[in-house]
Parts: sequence; C-alpha cells; structure tokens
Amino acid sequence: MKNDNNENNEFDVIIIGGGITGAGTARDCALRGMKVLLIERFDFAAGATGRNHGLLHSGARYAVTDKESAAECIKENMILRKIARHCVEENDGLFISLPEDDINFQSKFVESCHAAGIDAQIIDPAEARRMEPSVNPTLIGAVKVPDGSVDPFRLTLANIIDAKAHGAKILVYHEVVELLKEQDRVMGVTVVDHKSKETRKYYAPLTINAAGIWGHGIAEMAGIKIGMFPSKGSLLIFGHRVNNIVLNRCRKPADADILVPGDTICLIGTTSSHVGFDEVDNMRVTPEEVDLLLREGQKLAPALATTRILRAYAGVRPLVAADDDPSGRNISRGIVLLDHETRDGVAGFATITGGKLMTYRLMAEWATDLACKKLGIEKPCVTMTEPLPGSRSEEPMPTGKTYDLSNRIKRSTVGRHGDMASRIASSNELDNSLVCECEDVSVGEVQYALKELDVHNMEDLRHRTRVGMGTCQGELCACRAAGLLGEAHNCAHQAKADLAKFLNERWKGMYPIAWGEALRESEYTQWVYSGICGMNKMEEE
Amino acid sequence: MTMQQYNISENNFEQCIKCTVCTVYCPVVPVNPNYPGPKQAGPDGERLRLKRGEFFDEALKYCLNCKRCEVACPSNVRIGDIIQLARIKYSKSKPSLRDMILANTDIVGSLSSTFAPIVNTTVALKPVKAVMDSVLKIDRHRTFPRYAGQTFVSWFKKEAQAKQDLYLNHVSFFHGCYINYNYPQLGKDMVKVMNALGYGVHLLEKEKCCGVALISNGLINQAKKQAKVNIDSIRKSVTEEKRPVIAASSTCTFTIRDEYPHLLNIENDDVRNSIELATRFIYRLLESGKVKIKYRDAAPVKIAYHTPCHMEKLGWGFYSIELLRHIPNVELVVLDSQCCGIGGTYGFKKENYGTSQGIGASLFRQIEEVDPQFVATDCETCKWQIEMSTPYKVKHPISILAEYIDVEGTINLNK
Amino acid sequence: MKFDTVIIGGGLAGLACGIRLQNRGFKCAIVSAGQSALHFSSGSFDLLNELPDGTAVANPEEAVRSLDPKHPYAKIGDQFAFYAQEAKQLLLDSGVEVQGDSKQNSYRITPMGTTMPTWLTLADFTCLKNATDVIGKKILLVNIAGFLDFNTKFIADAFEGNGAACKIVSVSLPEFEKLRQSPTEMRSANIARILENENTLHALASRLNEQASSCDVIALPAVFGLSSPAPLQTLKRQIPTPVCIVPTMPPSVPGIRTQKRLRRVFELAGGFYMLGDSATTAETGDGKVYAISTVNHGDIALRANHFVLASGSFFSNGLWASMDGVREPVFGADVDFDPNRNNWYNASVFEPQRYRTFGVATDERFRIKINGKVQDNVYAIGSVLSGFDALQEGCGAGVSLLTALYVADQLKK
Repeated sequence: MKNDNNENNEFDVIIIGGGITGAGTARDCALRGMKVLLIERFDFAAGATGRNHGLLHSGARYAVTDKESAAECIKENMILRKIARHCVEENDGLFISLPEDDINFQSKFVESCHAAGIDAQIIDPAEARRMEPSVNPTLIGAVKVPDGSVDPFRLTLANIIDAKAHGAKILVYHEVVELLKEQDRVMGVTVVDHKSKETRKYYAPLTINAAGIWGHGIAEMAGIKIGMFPSKGSLLIFGHRVNNIVLNRCRKPADADILVPGDTICLIGTTSSHVGFDEVDNMRVTPEEVDLLLREGQKLAPALATTRILRAYAGVRPLVAADDDPSGRNISRGIVLLDHETRDGVAGFATITGGKLMTYRLMAEWATDLACKKLGIEKPCVTMTEPLPGSRSEEPMPTGKTYDLSNRIKRSTVGRHGDMASRIASSNELDNSLVCECEDVSVGEVQYALKELDVHNMEDLRHRTRVGMGTCQGELCACRAAGLLGEAHNCAHQAKADLAKFLNERWKGMYPIAWGEALRESEYTQWVYSGICGMNKMEEE
Repeated sequence: MTMQQYNISENNFEQCIKCTVCTVYCPVVPVNPNYPGPKQAGPDGERLRLKRGEFFDEALKYCLNCKRCEVACPSNVRIGDIIQLARIKYSKSKPSLRDMILANTDIVGSLSSTFAPIVNTTVALKPVKAVMDSVLKIDRHRTFPRYAGQTFVSWFKKEAQAKQDLYLNHVSFFHGCYINYNYPQLGKDMVKVMNALGYGVHLLEKEKCCGVALISNGLINQAKKQAKVNIDSIRKSVTEEKRPVIAASSTCTFTIRDEYPHLLNIENDDVRNSIELATRFIYRLLESGKVKIKYRDAAPVKIAYHTPCHMEKLGWGFYSIELLRHIPNVELVVLDSQCCGIGGTYGFKKENYGTSQGIGASLFRQIEEVDPQFVATDCETCKWQIEMSTPYKVKHPISILAEYIDVEGTINLNK
Repeated sequence: MKFDTVIIGGGLAGLACGIRLQNRGFKCAIVSAGQSALHFSSGSFDLLNELPDGTAVANPEEAVRSLDPKHPYAKIGDQFAFYAQEAKQLLLDSGVEVQGDSKQNSYRITPMGTTMPTWLTLADFTCLKNATDVIGKKILLVNIAGFLDFNTKFIADAFEGNGAACKIVSVSLPEFEKLRQSPTEMRSANIARILENENTLHALASRLNEQASSCDVIALPAVFGLSSPAPLQTLKRQIPTPVCIVPTMPPSVPGIRTQKRLRRVFELAGGFYMLGDSATTAETGDGKVYAISTVNHGDIALRANHFVLASGSFFSNGLWASMDGVREPVFGADVDFDPNRNNWYNASVFEPQRYRTFGVATDERFRIKINGKVQDNVYAIGSVLSGFDALQEGCGAGVSLLTALYVADQLKK
C-alpha cells in the first residue's frame, strides 16, 4: 500500500490545521529537526484563532476559577512579550468593580492572582479613571494586571514563516478528507487541493490533529470520539480605540466583560453559547447577541453606547469535556493533549486541543514533546526563548520630525511586520502609494505579502496586512488590492471574482450592526460596487 | 433602548465614510505634494494617532486652515479642526522667530504704527526684504501691509467716541488688528454706516488680536490668554451693557465664534449668537424693516465678490452679497468660491509662497475674466493677496456701503 | 430670510428642482450639507433598468406601467414620458451634454469594463447599443502611471470577453510626478486638475499618438475636465484616433463637473446655494411648515411658501438609521420602514436590500406627513423617498430628476 511513497509525500509528522496551534506545533517540530507537513483547508488563522479578542491574557481572568490556566497564562504572557514583540501591545489591563458588583470579590481575586504569579495591584478608582479615561466613572474598585493585546494573524504568520524557514512544507486550501489507516495505526492522510480539486496522499509516522473544533470530525475519521463542545463567542469591533488599557470586570467570568484595544480598533466580547457541529462553518451574529454585547460593553466604557461599530463576528471555541465526564458539565479551558495510542489504541495519531490563543506555544511544546517521544528524537524545546521572525531585531523606526507620509507608512509596516518590514519595498512612488488608506497599507506591503506570505486571495491578503480592516471595510481599497492580486497571479478575471467574494465577506460582518454610520458606509460601498461598477450583475463564478 | 442612537467621536472623525470629497476641494493638495491631504491628515490620521501619538506628521502644518474640506464634507466631519487640534496636541516643533513675528499681529502692529513711516519705508526696501527673505524666511515677493500712522483706536477716541452715546441703539465693535494698525479707514467707514443707521459704536473694554495667527503658528497658550480677554470683554458688552458685538473681518468673527470653543477650549455658548459680521447685523435690520437705507445717486458699477474661506465656512456670504445687491446700480458678480491662497500668515512664509500663489491662480484668472471696477471681499488677508496678485483694488462691503450711503437721507428716512 | 421655496439638499434632485423653479420666477435657496452624491456618479443617469422582481427593462416608458403604486414613478403616472423628456432637456439646457432615450435603454461602460443598462450618458463617455458591444476591435487601453483607481487589466478582461483586443500602456509625464510623491493624492480629481493645463494635455496627446498606430480606438480614464468639457475636447482635437473615456472609481470627474455646472446654472438664475450648512429644525403648525433653521444662519430662519426635502438617503444623512428604527432628521417626517431589523438586510451584498427601499412616506403628490398628517407645503423628492431600491432597479437618477421636476410643477407662487 505504501508503494506510492517518495520523498515528496513522506514526512516525520503531519499537522492538520493552520490555526495558531498547528502553526506553533509546525514551528516547534521543525525547530527540533522533524520533516513537517502542515495542512490547512482554508487560510492560516481562519478559525477560532482569528476570531477572538486578541487578548494577551495575564491569566487574571482565570485566577479564581482555574488556577492552573492562570499560571500557564502569565508564564506564556511573559514569553510572548519577548519572542513575539511585534505581535504584542503591552497595554496593561484593569479589572474594575462596578456598584452592582461585589467588591469583596476583589480581595479574593487579588489573592488568587498572586498565588498564580500574576502581578495584580489594587489601585484607587480615581487613579484608574486617570489611567484610562474611558472607564465607567462610577467604578468602585480597580486592579491593575499585566494584560495586553496580541494580533493572532501576525502571531500565526510568524510561526509559519519560521516553520517554513526550517523546512516545513505548508499546504493551504488543502483539506484532509481521509485518515489513512492500517490496522490500528494512522499512516497518513488523503488531501484534496481546493484549487485544482486533485487528491493526494501524504504519509508520516505521526499525524497531529490541531484542527480546533473541526478536530472533532478529524478524530471521527479515525473512529475516535472526543467530547468536544462547540461554544460560539460573538464580538463587536469598534471603529477606533476607545480605551488604551484592557478593561475587564472584576467578577466571575461572564458575557461581554472584556474590552480590548488592538491596533487601530477595540473590541468587546464575548457571548458564549453552545452550538451544533452543523453550524460551526457558518457562524452568524444575531441581533440579540449584538444587543447583549452593547448593553454589557457600555458598563465597562460608557462611550461604547455612541461609538461607531465596524463589524460583528463570531468564533467557535473547541471546548473539551474531560474523558471521565462525557456530559460536558465540567469543561476546562486548559490544554488537552490526547495520545490516541494510549487513549484509544490508535497509533500514529494525536490530538492537541482546548487551551487558548495565549497558551498556543505551550500546547505546541507538549504536542512536539509527544512527537519527539514517538519518533525517538531527543532535542529540547527552544521556543520559549527563540524569538519569532519579526521580533528578532529592532527595526529602526524613522526618527525626528517627519514631513513625509512615507515615514508614517513605514511606522505602520514595522508595526505589522516587525523586522520583516525590511523586506517591504519602499524605494519609489508606487511602492509607497497607499492601497488601504484607513490602515496605511502600501503597494509595497501588498506586493511583499503577495510574493512571500502565501496569499491566494483577498481574504488572505487582509489577514497578512490589514487591507480592508479599517473604517471603510474595503470600500476604497478592495478594488485597488484586487488589481494588485490580479497582476501578481496574472489573472484579472479571477481577481474580479475574488473582489466580489471579499466584499460579500465584509458585508457579512457589517449587516448585523448596519445602522448609523456603518449603514451609510455600507450604502456607499454598495453604490460604488453595484451601482457604478455593476458587480451585482457580473456572472457568478 | 438608548444605545447607538447616534455616533459620537471627537470632531466627528468617525462620521467619515471615506468618500474622498474633501480631497477634491483642498486647495493645498494639488500644489504641495508634501501635504498629506485632508482625509489622511484628518480622520484617517486621527485613528492612527489614537493608537500612538508618534503617527503624527509635522507635514500637517501645510494645512492652511481654510476649512473648505469641512464645507465640502457630506458627513459633517470637522476635518480642519481635527488637523489643527492634532498640531496643537502632538507637534513638537517650536515656532520660529519668523512665526512669532507674523503671529503677533498686535504687538508688532502697535510698535510699527508708532514708527509707521520708518517701518513702511524700511520693510519696502530691497535689502531689508532680502534679509527678511533669507534670515526670517518671509518671502521677498510679499509686500507687508502698510502701517497707518494713527491707529483706529486713537482716531476713534479723539474724533468719534464722545458722540456715540447720543444714539438710541448701541453696538460694540471688534475692529481687529488690520483696521486698527493697517487700515483705520474701514473702521471709520463702519462708524459712519452704523451711525447713519442710528447705532452708536463702542470699543470693547479690552480687545486683543483674535489669535488666528497665533493658532496657526502653534502659539496656543498665548492664543488662549488673548481669547479669554476677548470673550470676557464681549461677555461684558453683551450681558451687562446689552450691546451686541459686530466685526468687519470674516476671519476674526469665525475665530471668535468657532475656533475658540473648538480649538482653544474657550467656552462662548452664552455670547456666541451676539458676535456677528456687520453685514449680517445690517441685513437683519433691513429685513425686519427696522431701518431703511437711502443711497446717493451714483454711476453704475461692476463689482466682483470673492467669498473668503472663513466666510464660506460661516455660510454668511449671503448677507454681504444681499447688502451689495441692495445698492442701486451695482452689478454684482459672485465669483466661484475658491481659496485665494494667502491663508493669513501662511502665504507670507517663504516655504509656502509657491503653494500660496498656485492656489490663488485660478481665482486671479476669474477676476481678470470678469474685469470688474473693483473686487469686494470681507477678509483683509484676501484683500492683500488679490491686490498683490492682480491689478484690481479690493474693498470691504462696509466701505462700499459707506461710499454709497446717503447719510443725511438715511437718518431722515429712519426718523 | 424669505424665499418662495427652500430646498433641503443640493444634489441632482435639489438642483433640478431649484433650476426649474428659478426659471419659473421663484426665488429659491438650496441648503446643502456638503457636496452631493453626484461626486460618485457613474457618468450616466439611470431611469429604470430592472423591475423589482428582477425582470430586465428595455423600454422604461413601457415598463413603468407595471410598477407598484407606492413607487415614485407610479405617482408621476402618465406624465412619466413627458418628465423624462423634460429632465433630459433641463440637463441639455444647463450645458450638461447627455445622450440617450427613455424609450430604449442603452449601455454604459463601468470601471470594471463591463456594461450596464442606462438612460442618459454624459457626452464624455461612449454609449453602447447592446450589452456585448465593444468600443473597438483593437483598443489601446491607457492609464496614468501610479493611478490605482483605474484598473486597465480588469477593463481589458471584460473588453476581451466581448471579442476586442487590448493593448495596455501606462503613461507618465513629468507633470504627474510631483503629485505622485504623495502616497494618497494620485486621485482622479487631482489628476484632472493637472490636465487642465494645455501644455500637459498636449504632451499627453503626443505620447498617445506615438502608441496609437495599430489601434482603432484609445480608451482613457475619466480624468478630464473638472470645471468644463474643454480639456477633453482639446485632447480629442490633437489625437486623430478616436478617443473613448472609461469611468474611474470615485471621485467622478464628470460627476463633479455636472454638479458644478448645475449649481452655477441655478445661481446664475438667481438662486442661493448654501453649501456646508444643514437644516436643524422646522417651525410647523396647522399641517404647514413656516420656516427652517440651519446651523449657519442660527436665529435668522429661512422662511418660505414651500419646502422641498431633497436630502438623499442614508449616505447623505437624509435618512438616519439607529438600532431600532429609521427617521428623517429635519422635519421628523413619517418614514416607511420595517421595525424588525432582521428584515433590513440580505446576507448577500449584491442582492436587493430591504433597507434601501425605506424612505419618507408621501401622499400621491409627494407631500410629506408628520405623525400621519399631510404637510400642505412640504414635498419630498429623490432618494429620500420610499418605495424603490435604486441600486437593484437602476432608477436612482431617474427618480431624482423626474420627482424634482414633477414637484416643481406642482408649486404655485
């Protein structure tokens, strides 16, 4: 059966899933000398990785309820500040108590934080108002913790870049349709290329399932049941940074009680509701969820009641029930590593799931340790100290007076790509022309992404650069970016179709909140692309 | 539900829907590629500056604060205010000696008036202009407005003040630096017209330069001090003496009404409606039938009216235009509204000279095509610019009114 | 201030109404909160391209009969053809050169190179008879180097799909290089400003003539003539090969010129155009409006015998949507909308959207209602009206022009 094997389809480890867990695992495995194949059915960070708060947890949120998670968080928090500087904003966080909250919870909270190793300091409400003017002025207590924000797209990409630099093969828009089993061993996978529709087989002694909530289905391909519970979380993105410090409620975790500033925006979330597996590919934010997010959000920062909203989106957390509790009542948010050989008697197959964006590196470390054990490799993990590409050196920022927009653009690109920004061309007028004016994305940056960062379509481009993530949600830049995409791929026809798809994707996040300025923007965008450009009448691809 | 009934953001920067209309009407963009344009400098840049102040760009100083972007904006974004406030908040560059000189119109003015003959002769000399050009970076093509030997205020105190209490109605007059130091005649015209209409004219208790040049040159603290003096005096005039305040300059008026609260954080809510241009004040009197005007017999005259930028922003061109059209035998051509390029002290700076003239070029062409007997406008710096750049003389609507009004006849008509 | 008519909104509808009234001897003021949607014009005016059920329309005059009675066109009724003709005439009389026929839709070219049905097209552009017609067999497709809002590859893709052959070139002139130093300002209107200069036009013409030898038509972006059609005429005189203009992404240079032209015509006829001002409140009573106040004019209210609401849709702030409803901000006029926000949108952006049919409710003569009571002297025209989806039906400009003229003719001095 393995007679079609060759150097091109045999690997040491196959990783399924291009979220942060898969990307981190691919990097760690590659750093430890394994021949790695990563398979992702869409783009990197297309699932839960790209659909959360982007909160660099201090762990304080879990300090009272889940000490273990809290300790993991603060440790990883400190590591990410070093290895992923360009993905992290060191904003700090406040846990505020409102008149309706029990102020007595505060002391227990601070105690638990300290027990978990989190530097939590009680501060005066007046001081909190000074530090963060947007905070609800009626607050009665505040605790400062080392929260921050992290850009999940950048973080995933940096892991992928490094994995590739260490020989990993990365296949995006490839979907695993079958696990190749021989007796009680997973030998590899059958993969469909979404573009060419071709099917190929890949082999490895170990396949790691890092597919998040979709890992449930992957495990089923091996006849294995994992007690996963898809939990939908909805969030709202506001048009600008209302706050510069992360705002949390000092109480047991509940809905819509975190407001995170990240890059040019801030976001409130999340809701939490169980959904069926049939829904996980098509998440929609309901009007009720929007109302709830706003109602709770304005308690943190009253300005949210009148701040323009850019979009709404939802992700699915892969919650895992402990093996001894199939009912799912006792769900932990901790890391779950399942060795299916010991658990289910299926060799060559493991699942890494649960956890959080924050603890991806640790998850990767655990999974890689297991791979090493299985493959007999003895090499220590270095990811806690080895900086990611982009964070290796200080990219010199333009200094002094700037009389030139290109300096500002440079600041934006360094902000997004760290030391990798030196690869972005900025030598002539075209390189420096802005594609996306809301987020300062230049032609040079788009071309860098198209050339070096596995960009297949407009969505990928958005994840790599923030094109279309600003106030106008693509109205001004989508057409320009599609033009460059068409040029790079030498297919204008395909690029036009992709532009239509992109606009539709943008609208899906806009219509749940399309009133006020957002509706004006939407009407204008539709006027431009349907009314002027006639894209509503272009033949379906 | 009370959430999300409207969106609030500072100066409405988030009401921007990125339609780019402001960029079409910015007079600086086409002539100075170093200026990022109103959209980038304004609402787009604001989001980035909220992220981190280091995204501020000193090139925002190229904005001449004409507010034409705001007039054009269909979304009510106060683009000009966003840009000026960003300069106030983030700019680290210190005003130069040149900027201080240009900005301090009243100190320089009071010194210069005392020594007017010397100053006027000196600044007109070629070697002096060369020094001003190379050392102070004041462009050599610029002719400084001449300083009058006697200020308006000293004339007023000597010749006019005593008679003012005889009138039934009263107004306070914010004369501004230009009338006081450079062109007292316009002040005299104002007194003549208002007196003819039955209004006594009074000085404010204290008047400082409105501060527009201080704001644009980054001298914010001084601007605030002066604004406070002015608003206190205006408040006294309006609330205690029951005298509304009139002015001749569209820029001073705009600055006191709108820039004080928006840029300097000086509240003027209680008196804002009582500060207006004299042409609007007179229009109201005429419209309500409270006064009538009798005009002298005069030969037909063709006048071109230029709407200054801040007049456009005030939206009050209507009043000056209607007043001029009220004069018999006046053929008034309203020019297509566009910036003359001077932007207050902006055009005097060597680095802006080219930009300034480039901006004004099409306005000058328009005037030449109309070929009026003279141009009318409500702004002193537009007057300088047009007179420096075209062969046409420029007059203020109040001066024109003073020229055509039959004082005796008007007094009799209103008896 | 006293006027015969105060018009709120200075876009296509407000200006058309103002010009017609001014020509009939009315004294009008237009209050316009910023520049209008004409700045994003396609370069054509649509009358009716599709019925609400999706049926394509070839002859708007015929198709209009099957519209729902709530549609603004239904209220114009039998006079539809008359007002379509009057609207075209008004544009022509104003010096806005257009071509097209209300009995037979023609086709315009989009910035994507595709074709769309339309009614009147500005003389700058080529008007096609059939959807698959091409402007030439061998096309020289030209862009200005660095101009990102005109995509020659997209256009060529569509042209070639209809059987034309395209050669794409990009032209650079020293005059553009200065503008290109700015990362953002290489926009259509700024390019058009540079091309007002005769020498630059001449330089461009010679560059094009060098390249045009084997082509039967030259296609250029619409970056000619911000204030007058002269630059394009000058260019065409200097190029022996036929020149065809293709619209760009916004802002629309021919649209801006149309706006300027109509405003000038209105002002030359004696009308007052108050730009950058917004109506705030209205003085109402007994089913009438007596005056409106504006931001700029404050205590000096604008009094008039008639008021016309031409304030546009959501985009122009003529309508304002909040989480729980849609309102008209000036008069608080009654608005037709669905109270259930779930029904406002279609999840596919290119499908018809319910919210776009929302608008001010009017009686059969386009008079607005406040709390159900018809206001005797207040009329609504253009996109603030309810009962149509301008984008799906392709009828935005037509509704603006026809309702404007229809209402103007209703008013008595």
